[in-house]
Amino acid sequence: MKKIHIIAIVIIAISVGVIISTIADSSTYTGFEIAKLNPDTEFQVVGVLNPESEMTYNPEVSPFFSFYLIDKEGKEELVKFNGSKPQDFERSDQIVITGQYVQGEFIASKILMKCPSKYNNGQEVEVKAGQES
Amino acid sequence: MDSTDIEYIGEHLLPGQLGNIFVAIAFFASFFAMFSYFKALKSKEESWQNLGRLFFRIHSLSVAGIALTLFYIIFNHYFEYNYAYQHSSTELPLRYMLSCFWEGQEGSFLLWIFWHVVLGNILIHTARSWEYSTMMIFSSVQVLLTSMLLGVYVFGIKIGSNPFMLLRENPEMMNIPLFRNPNYASLIEGSGLNPLLQNYWMTIHPPTLFLGFASTLIPFCYAVAALIEKRHIEWLKPALPWTFFGILILGTGVLMGGAWAYEALSFGGFWAWDPVENASLVPWLFFVGAGHLMLINRNKKSEPTSLNSTYLVTIFTFLLILYSTYLTRSGILGETSVHSFADGMPGQLIFFLSLYVLGSLALFIYRYKSIPSVKEEEVFLSREFWMLIGSFVLVISAFQIIFTTSIPVINAVFGTNMAPPIDAIDHFNSWQVPFAIVIAILMAFGQFLSYKKTDPKKYVIKVLPASVLSLVLTISLILLLKLASIILMVLMFASMLTILLNANYFIRILKGKIKNGGASIAHVGFGLIILGSLLSAGMKEVISINSSGIDIRMEGEEKDANLENILLYKNDTLRMGNYLVSYVGKEKQGINILYEVHYTDRDNPDINFSLFPRIQLNKNMGNVPEPDTKHFLHKDLFTHVTYVNETDFEENVTKDYEVIDTLKIKKGDSTIIPPYLVHLNGISNDVPKEHYGLKDDDIAIKAILLFDNMHDSIYSFEPILVIKDSRLFYVHDESEELGIRIALTGINPENGEMSFVIEKDKNKKEDFIIMKAAIFPFINVLWIGCVIMIIGTAIAIYNRIRKS
Repeated sequence: MKKIHIIAIVIIAISVGVIISTIADSSTYTGFEIAKLNPDTEFQVVGVLNPESEMTYNPEVSPFFSFYLIDKEGKEELVKFNGSKPQDFERSDQIVITGQYVQGEFIASKILMKCPSKYNNGQEVEVKAGQES
Repeated sequence: MDSTDIEYIGEHLLPGQLGNIFVAIAFFASFFAMFSYFKALKSKEESWQNLGRLFFRIHSLSVAGIALTLFYIIFNHYFEYNYAYQHSSTELPLRYMLSCFWEGQEGSFLLWIFWHVVLGNILIHTARSWEYSTMMIFSSVQVLLTSMLLGVYVFGIKIGSNPFMLLRENPEMMNIPLFRNPNYASLIEGSGLNPLLQNYWMTIHPPTLFLGFASTLIPFCYAVAALIEKRHIEWLKPALPWTFFGILILGTGVLMGGAWAYEALSFGGFWAWDPVENASLVPWLFFVGAGHLMLINRNKKSEPTSLNSTYLVTIFTFLLILYSTYLTRSGILGETSVHSFADGMPGQLIFFLSLYVLGSLALFIYRYKSIPSVKEEEVFLSREFWMLIGSFVLVISAFQIIFTTSIPVINAVFGTNMAPPIDAIDHFNSWQVPFAIVIAILMAFGQFLSYKKTDPKKYVIKVLPASVLSLVLTISLILLLKLASIILMVLMFASMLTILLNANYFIRILKGKIKNGGASIAHVGFGLIILGSLLSAGMKEVISINSSGIDIRMEGEEKDANLENILLYKNDTLRMGNYLVSYVGKEKQGINILYEVHYTDRDNPDINFSLFPRIQLNKNMGNVPEPDTKHFLHKDLFTHVTYVNETDFEENVTKDYEVIDTLKIKKGDSTIIPPYLVHLNGISNDVPKEHYGLKDDDIAIKAILLFDNMHDSIYSFEPILVIKDSRLFYVHDESEELGIRIALTGINPENGEMSFVIEKDKNKKEDFIIMKAAIFPFINVLWIGCVIMIIGTAIAIYNRIRKS
C-alpha cells in the first residue's frame, strides 16, 4: 500500500468521525412535553414569550429571572433562568432556551433571542446562565 | 386613495435614477466583458481583448458610480430611500457613515463587487498570457454578483435587491398611512445604524474581510483557466502571490472580527465559534491549505505530486466564500425565516453556488486525465510530504467546522430536526484543539526538513536543542500557571515548539535574513496566537462570583448556585478576585449610559482605576450593553453590565408616592424602618415664615428626623407642620436619592409624641447594576502573535513578488 492510500484512509476515517460526532453532539429541538418526560436531560426548546403572563425579575431580592414560554406545540411553561434578564427581552420575537426539568421545574441555562428583523437582519443574542459549581 | 395617484413633493429622485442606470450598465458591461474575453480566448484576437478591457472598465466605472451614489444618498440623509432609512439617521456621526454603507445586504454585496473591480483591474495588467481566460471567469462572477443589485422581476421571480429602492416601494412599508401625505419625505427620520456597529472596528473590519473574500477569486480564476487551457503547472507561479495576499488579508479580516467581538460584544471572549465567525474562518483554512499545496508543486515543478488536491482546494476556497455568503446572508442560520431579506435572494445565491460548484467540478473531471502526476512514492523525510499532510489537516479541520455550522442546511435538505450542539464551544474545541496540536507540530518540525530528501541524523541534531528548550519552558509554565488540563498542556508544548523551532530556523539557517524569513516569522506568529488563545481562553477567570452574602439559592435547591453575575448597589464595595470593586454612579453621554465601576487592587491600593461599561440606547433597535476593558501588560480585566434598572433608560420618571409607614416617636427616641435606623433628633420652630407666606402668629414646627442606613450615610429630613387659621398644613421634606418623603402630621401635646407619614416613590428603584467581570491572562501574546503572523506573511509575499 502506498503512503497516499494510508493518508486517504486516515482522512476518510477522520471525516466519518467528524460526521458522527456532530450528529452525536447535536441536540434536538423539542417541546416541553418531551423535556418533562426526560428530566435532568438538557433540551433546546423553541418558543415565543407569552406577552400576557407575568415576567419576574427582582435582582435585589433574587437573581433568578422567570417567564412563561409557549412552545411550538402551544404548551405554556414557567421557565426559570439562572441569570440576569437579557436586555430587551420583551422585544424578542422568538426564543430558543436550553435547559432541563429539575424537580418538575424547567431550569434554563441559556437563552437565545431572535430579535425583530430590523435588528441587524435578525441578529441573535445569546445569554448564558451563571455556572453552578 | 391609491398611493400611486399621489404626486409626491420633496423627494430626491435623481440620485436613485442615476444609481439605477449605473446598476444596469454595470450588469450589462460585465456580461459583455465576459463575452468579449470568451471570444478573445477562442480567436486569440487582440480586438476582442481590447473590447473586453473596455467593457470591464465601463463596468468598473459604473460600480464606482453605484457606490458614490449610494453614499451620496446616505450622506445627505435622503430617507425616502429604503437603504438610507434602514441603515442611517441624521444624528449619526460622520465616521460611521461608511459603516451604514455596508450594514445592509445590498451594500455588502456592493462592497464585495467594488473590491473585485479593484482586483480585476490589477489582474488585467498582470495576467499577460492568462488575461483572456482569467478575465472571462472573473467577469462571469461579476455578472452574477451585480445581478444581486438589479431588483427586477423576470417571469415573476425577483432578481436581486436594489439599493436604490424608495421607502414607499418597500412591500413591508408601502401601505402605511404616511405615504398618503405628498410631503412625507420631509417627515421621515432614518432608523439608525445598529449601535453594535458603531465601533471603530466596524469601520475597518468589513472592508478588510470583503477584500479577503474578493482575493479568493483570483486564484480560483487561475485554477479554472489552467484547467481550460491545460496549463497545469504554469498557473501556480502567478497564482501564488495572490493566494498569499488573500491569506494575509482574509486572515487579518477574521482576526479583526475577533477583536471586535472582544471589544464590543458581551461574548466574553475573542472567539466563540459563532456561525458567522466560522463562515469566514473556514475559507481561510482552505486558503492556507491551497497556498501550501501550491508551494509544494511550485518547488517540484518537474514532478508535481499533488496537483489534483491543489486544484480542488484552490477552487473550493472560492466556493466556500460563496457558501459562507449564503449561510450568513440567507437567514438559514436563524431558526425561522422571519428575516427581511429579498425574497429571491437565497434562491439566487443557491443558483450562483451550484453553477460554480457543478461547472468547476465538471471541468476538473473532464480534464482529470491530462493533469500530470508522478507515480513515484513521496519521500517520508521530505518537507513536501509533511506540508501535504499539513494541508490535509487544515482541510479536515475546516470540514469539521463547516459541517457543524451547516446543521440548519442539513435540516433544510434532509428534513431533519437537529439542533446545534448545546455546548458549541466544547464541541468545536474537542476537535479543533487536537487539529491545532497536529498543525503546530508539523509547522515546528516541517521547516527544518529539506525538499526531496533529508538526512535523519543531521535532522535530529538540528531540531534537538530548540525542542528540549520548548519542553523545559512548557513544564515551567505549566507549574507556574498551575495548568491542569492535559490536552492544553500538549497544545502549549506544540505551540512552544512552533515558536522556538521556527525562531531557531530563522536565526540559524536563514541567518536572520528578514527577506527570506517570511514563512518562519509567520509561523512564529501562528504559534503565539495558539499560545495566547490557550492562555487567555483556557485560563480565563470570572471574578464576579457572587460573594455578596445575598441568598441566591433557588427554592428547593440544595447546593449554592454560584452566579457569575454580581449585584452591586451604588457606593457598595465588594471583593472580586484580587480587587475591591464599587459602583460609583452613572452618567448619560449622548446615546450611551456609562456606569462607573471602580477597581482597587487589594495588595497594592495605589493601583486603582475606573472602568465605564456602557449601555447604548437606541429607540429603534433596543439597548445594547458594551463592555469596557482595562489592559495590563500581562492580562486584561473585562467588565460589562448585564442588567440595570429599566428606569435608567427613561428621561423623566414620574413620581408615584405611596405610604409605607406611619410613625409615632418622641424626641431623642429611635426606631427602625428597614433598612434605616430612624432617630428623631430634634424639634425647632426656626422656620423662615415669610418663605411660606405665613404671618407671625401662625405656628410652624420643624422636626429633624435622621435616617441612618447603618452603613455609611445619614440622611436628614426636616418636615414642617403649619397651623394657619386653625387649619393644618404639611410641608413635606423629600430625598431624591432615597425616593422618600416625610410629612409631620401631628404632635401630641400630652406625651410629646410626634406623628409622621413616610411615603416612598414606587417608581424610584435603588441604583444598582448587575455586572460580570473576567480576567483574560496573557491575551497580549495573542495580539502580538496576530501582528507577527501578518508581518511574516507580508514579507513572504513581498519576497515572492520581488523574485518573480
